[in-house]
Amino acid sequence: MIFLKRQLPLAITFVVGVIFAVQYYVPHPISEEAITHAADTMKIVAAFALLLGIASLFHVHALKIKRQVPGWGYSFVLYLAMFVMIVIGFWSGGENKVDGAQTGFGWMYEFMMVPLQATMFSILAFFIASAAYRAFRARSREAAVLLAAAIIVMMGRVPLGQFLLPWTWDLTQWLLNVINSAVRRAILIGISMGAVALSVKIILGYERSYLGGGKDQ
Amino acid sequence: MISIDRRIIFLLIALATLLPLLNPFGLPIKVSPEVRGVYEYIENLPEGSVFLLSLDFDPSSKPELEPQAIALLRHAFRKHLRVIGMTHWLPGTGLADSIFARVAKEMDKQPGQDYVFLGWGPGQGSLIISMGQDLYKAFPSDYAKRPTQGMPVLHDVRNLRDVNYMVSLAAGSSGIEMWYIYGKDKYRFEMAGGSTGVIAPGLYPFLRSGQINGLIGGLQGAAEYETLINQKGTAVAGMDAQSVDHLVIIVLVLLCNLFYFMLRGEKGSPA
Repeated sequence: MIFLKRQLPLAITFVVGVIFAVQYYVPHPISEEAITHAADTMKIVAAFALLLGIASLFHVHALKIKRQVPGWGYSFVLYLAMFVMIVIGFWSGGENKVDGAQTGFGWMYEFMMVPLQATMFSILAFFIASAAYRAFRARSREAAVLLAAAIIVMMGRVPLGQFLLPWTWDLTQWLLNVINSAVRRAILIGISMGAVALSVKIILGYERSYLGGGKDQ
Repeated sequence: MISIDRRIIFLLIALATLLPLLNPFGLPIKVSPEVRGVYEYIENLPEGSVFLLSLDFDPSSKPELEPQAIALLRHAFRKHLRVIGMTHWLPGTGLADSIFARVAKEMDKQPGQDYVFLGWGPGQGSLIISMGQDLYKAFPSDYAKRPTQGMPVLHDVRNLRDVNYMVSLAAGSSGIEMWYIYGKDKYRFEMAGGSTGVIAPGLYPFLRSGQINGLIGGLQGAAEYETLINQKGTAVAGMDAQSVDHLVIIVLVLLCNLFYFMLRGEKGSPA
């Protein structure tokens, strides 16, 4: 069992990791074919992951309803919404339109899902305004710099700000293109170096947390 | 801290959004070099060039990214480019399809002939790799179940290497960065990005390094593009509301700091 649980996954990780790290630099047709097959395999794995996710979601919310934990009503709404959407989805053959006519599935998408999602996102504007009033204070020099930069960018990114304070446009462009880019780039390089280091550790078998726990580990 | 009831703040924001929408004052829109970069590249593409537009967002980002998509499509159709559409976001497929259908109808373009909407495919990065190898294996049929092989709009297009220009309109991961890593870097096509305002600053390093040749950021970016193509739409209309909203938030933040320093002066120490 220890071979199946530990040595085999480590060997597969090492071989596949090395092959696909090298593959990127080899433009030969066999190499290109290999990455296409790997991509197809990944799609199949992703489909199973989707099924696993749905099963897990149903399980978690079924437990909440069964135990009637606080907020279990929301779990019930989730079940109801999923059930209705799945039934109407199958009934409509998964199509939004058939011969130019909108199906029930298409109607639910266009007149329920689209406005609901857009509403959820637009509510953020109200909370951002409220949170900004409560929390955006110049408590320190760093916070004061952040506050000043935020106000300049907020003015420079809208026509009214550009009209009232024309200099904010150029300053905003400079802040975004120079200061913001430099800091973001530093963060990106740091993250990427970390990802490379972690990948090498996984390929070489030093990092094994992905294997999970268990008696044989 | 002197507090203002949050309901008053909500009311202020509601009024700041609604009133300019009802009575627009239409201030001029300045065009940034990053948006002009996208416009000029498309403007200089010869007729019949292949333009790939990936609408990588779902309905929650519709107010910002739909105007970008519409403006880009109008420009591409006006230039008689062959347009390939797709999405990496499953919940956004219906929305993306409706955007393509609406603009195509407005510009009198035919599916299969002038454009194709491929829909959604699983795999994200691996889907891009598949498209880079063989577009027809990755998408044997389009969103309307028409076989892609033999479509006039895809004539001489075998894979991503035959794409002349690509724009990903993204609301998060599975968007611009992914298209660069798995697409442009490997299959050598020129690309640009469009994004929601909140993720746009994070994409500037890609712009400055030339990994993308242009960036349309948020509703402001969409309004700039509408100004460039001289066809105003919902983005230009929305910028008045966004302008007043920004102003209200700035006033609130300044008030917050005024109260904070007043109280600090009274107590002798920060709250």
